[in-house]
Amino acid sequence: MGEMEGELVEADIVVPMHLSFKKIQAYEKYPKGQSRGRWKHLKQILQAENFQDCPPHEPNYVNIESPPSTQPCKRICDITGYEAPYVDPRTNLRYANSQVFKAVRSLSAEQVQQYLSIRNAAVVLK
Amino acid sequence: RPITYSGADDDGRRQNRRKLSMPFVSRIRRQTDYNVFPSSIPIVIDNGASYFRIGWAGETEPRVVFRNIVQRPRHKATGETVTIVGDQDPALMKYFDCTRSGPRSAFDSNVVYQFELMEYILDFAFDRLGANGSVIDHPILITECVCNPVQSRSKMAELLFETYGVPAVAFGVDAAFSYKYNQLHGLCKKDGIVVCPGFTTTHAIPFVDGEPVYKGSCRTNIGGYHVTDYLKQLLSLKYPFHSSRFTWEKAEDLKLEHGYIAPDYASEVRKFQEGTKEAEEKTRYWQLPWIPPPVEVPPSEEEIARKAAIREKQGQRLREMAEAKRSSKINEMENELRSLRFLVNQLDQVEEDDIPSFLSDTGYASRQELESTVSKVTQSLRKARGEPKEEPDESEENTDSLNNEKYPLMNVPDNMLTPEQLKDKRRQIFLKTTTEGRLRARQKRNEEELEKERRIQLEEERRRENPEFYLEEMRAQYKEVLERVDQKKRLKTNGSNTNGNQKTGGVGRGERLSAAQRERMRLLTTAAFDRGKGEDTFGSRDEDWQLYKLMSKDHDEDDEQPDSDEAELARLSSRLQEIDPTFVMKAEEESNQTSGEAQRVRPLTEEDYKIVIGVERFRCPEILFHPNLVGIEQVGLDEMGGASIRRLPHDDGELEERLTSSILMTGGCSLTPGMKERLESGMRMIRPCGSTIHVVRAMDPELDAWRGASAFAADLNFLRNAFTKVDYYGKGEDWLRRYQIRYNNL
Repeated sequence: MGEMEGELVEADIVVPMHLSFKKIQAYEKYPKGQSRGRWKHLKQILQAENFQDCPPHEPNYVNIESPPSTQPCKRICDITGYEAPYVDPRTNLRYANSQVFKAVRSLSAEQVQQYLSIRNAAVVLK
Repeated sequence: RPITYSGADDDGRRQNRRKLSMPFVSRIRRQTDYNVFPSSIPIVIDNGASYFRIGWAGETEPRVVFRNIVQRPRHKATGETVTIVGDQDPALMKYFDCTRSGPRSAFDSNVVYQFELMEYILDFAFDRLGANGSVIDHPILITECVCNPVQSRSKMAELLFETYGVPAVAFGVDAAFSYKYNQLHGLCKKDGIVVCPGFTTTHAIPFVDGEPVYKGSCRTNIGGYHVTDYLKQLLSLKYPFHSSRFTWEKAEDLKLEHGYIAPDYASEVRKFQEGTKEAEEKTRYWQLPWIPPPVEVPPSEEEIARKAAIREKQGQRLREMAEAKRSSKINEMENELRSLRFLVNQLDQVEEDDIPSFLSDTGYASRQELESTVSKVTQSLRKARGEPKEEPDESEENTDSLNNEKYPLMNVPDNMLTPEQLKDKRRQIFLKTTTEGRLRARQKRNEEELEKERRIQLEEERRRENPEFYLEEMRAQYKEVLERVDQKKRLKTNGSNTNGNQKTGGVGRGERLSAAQRERMRLLTTAAFDRGKGEDTFGSRDEDWQLYKLMSKDHDEDDEQPDSDEAELARLSSRLQEIDPTFVMKAEEESNQTSGEAQRVRPLTEEDYKIVIGVERFRCPEILFHPNLVGIEQVGLDEMGGASIRRLPHDDGELEERLTSSILMTGGCSLTPGMKERLESGMRMIRPCGSTIHVVRAMDPELDAWRGASAFAADLNFLRNAFTKVDYYGKGEDWLRRYQIRYNNL
């Protein structure tokens, strides 16, 4: 490693390049510029596991997922968090009363989408 | 309002823990006693999505703890890429260029997928534990998630065997270790349920006869990370002006300090909606630093007088300087004129042919040049002396004669001139046309001024004749022009200025494009297909990027000629403002309706810099019980207990009762005040009336997983639960998938 500022050397925050207890070093395994996109993300890992072929009574990563709730869905105002019996037809935002409604109508388009995306209700144009 | 910190309503233990925790939980000092431990002693790792903990089997505290993230910035001075693991002191990060390298995790949800990052993390961890042999010669017990996919498990085993040379590996579940550890200490029994809200996932796992039964477990994809993210987003939307302040780390701090679970969300939120005293007491404030603008004191009489005197003196000084300069300039010119005149006189006495040689010393090429210089100097002298210009018609004559003096070569046909003289002639033509042009422009301007004056007078007369009628006419005209301008604006932006009512920004099918949008499309497509070779080389040349300049909105506006309609509008509105007391600028009206931005017109006060955290305190952690608040359609903490019991295959009628009377909460999130009570009441609602519900929190929800693993690994029979490299390569993937440890050693 080239010259490092004194403060940095003292703080000792950088992982050393060469570690004696390794049979092969990281820089040997991963030469520069090759680590793009070579690791499968969870979605791909799960697809490759082929859980549908496994016996159903055996627990696996996919079949232990929780079921959806049977309770009535809690509807709260997107802006204030109060209980929200109303929905604005134009924007699909939930609101608690007329004061909040004014605030809802004064939001910019971007803010509306942000509020909706918090609860996964945003419109996604593909 | 005074700033209140978390007070008596919090769980005392939580406060204690937090004092120890903030700001860093990390412990990264390099240990020095690695060699004291014989190779039979296992190393225990709790590899969590939020924190990584590593230490020795049999100890009660992990030696090294850090945030499970990696950064690979460039060291600015040397240009080398370095690896930094865990949270870092922001003061030290200034030595690095972190623009392309944010902190990254080896996890996708709760599964390790990125094993290059995992390797850097293990490098750091073993290094700080003090490892110094040629391999890591200790068995490793490492945690994983429930039902970890075999691919992830096998890559982890491979990494440990191949790169670190460990002799044996064992995998266990963190929540299970915590349950067993607390069972050992009497907080829960051999039959029970562990509920573990983690960083990105929450699990409920039933225990029967001291062993976890994963068949009955369930996982909801919500955790502390989502709570923090929810808070961050809500605050950023509530205070868009301060949104840069709400970093993920700050949101996490606020969550840890102020978050709590309401016993019942609906009644709690009603308190805030009605503004009760209790709600006020529960509201917290974060005051951002705010410097009031300096108040301008109106200057006193003396100040004004003093300043005026100073200005007067300065003015006087300047005038004197100007005067001195002028007189010296006049002197200079007079001298020059005298020497020139002398030269001219001398010239009269010289023969025609001798003129060039005579003049060669002086720098003048010919008699005409000399004479033109003389007249020039005379004129400037006259100007400097401040003598009045000649009358216009006189100047006409003079310009003619001047023309002949100044532009002597103008009327001489080209073929009679030398190349030098030709150049001179061209220069003179140019000079003449420019001065004439200037004169013409000045005349035109004068005429226009007069015309304008006349028009204004006419208007005034009309107004005086019939004020009412005039006003009406004005107003009508204004309205018309306003409409025209509005329409044009609408066409230009293609309706994209409207307020969240349509799908904005994107152009859907069948929507007409405005001229500007069409132009942009055209530019983009030509750029993309320009090269023709089938390859897209846009951007390889610097000039390519000029394209975006052409497309920008500013560019369009510059190009347009000053809009005559808009100018008309401005004129009309200013006129109306003068004469009509009821006229209000249309623009002002509009801005009053679209409140948001207009509110900022008034000066900002200290209030605007105070962040109010009221309902958010319990709204954010609520998502652990109601994930559908953030769009995740799964059961929350309380219902998970029920789902878990339903899934568990059992025929023992009493088992359910035993399960619900021994519920253990573990994991960092379970430190949230109010969670225990809420989980209990939630379970009570979904269980048959009269069943025993008993919820207890782990002794140390953050560390007990590691402690349980450490106790497990310290057992003499631990190696029976581990597998060697030979096992790993010999027994195949199927075996690896079915591998499970037996927890009952603990």
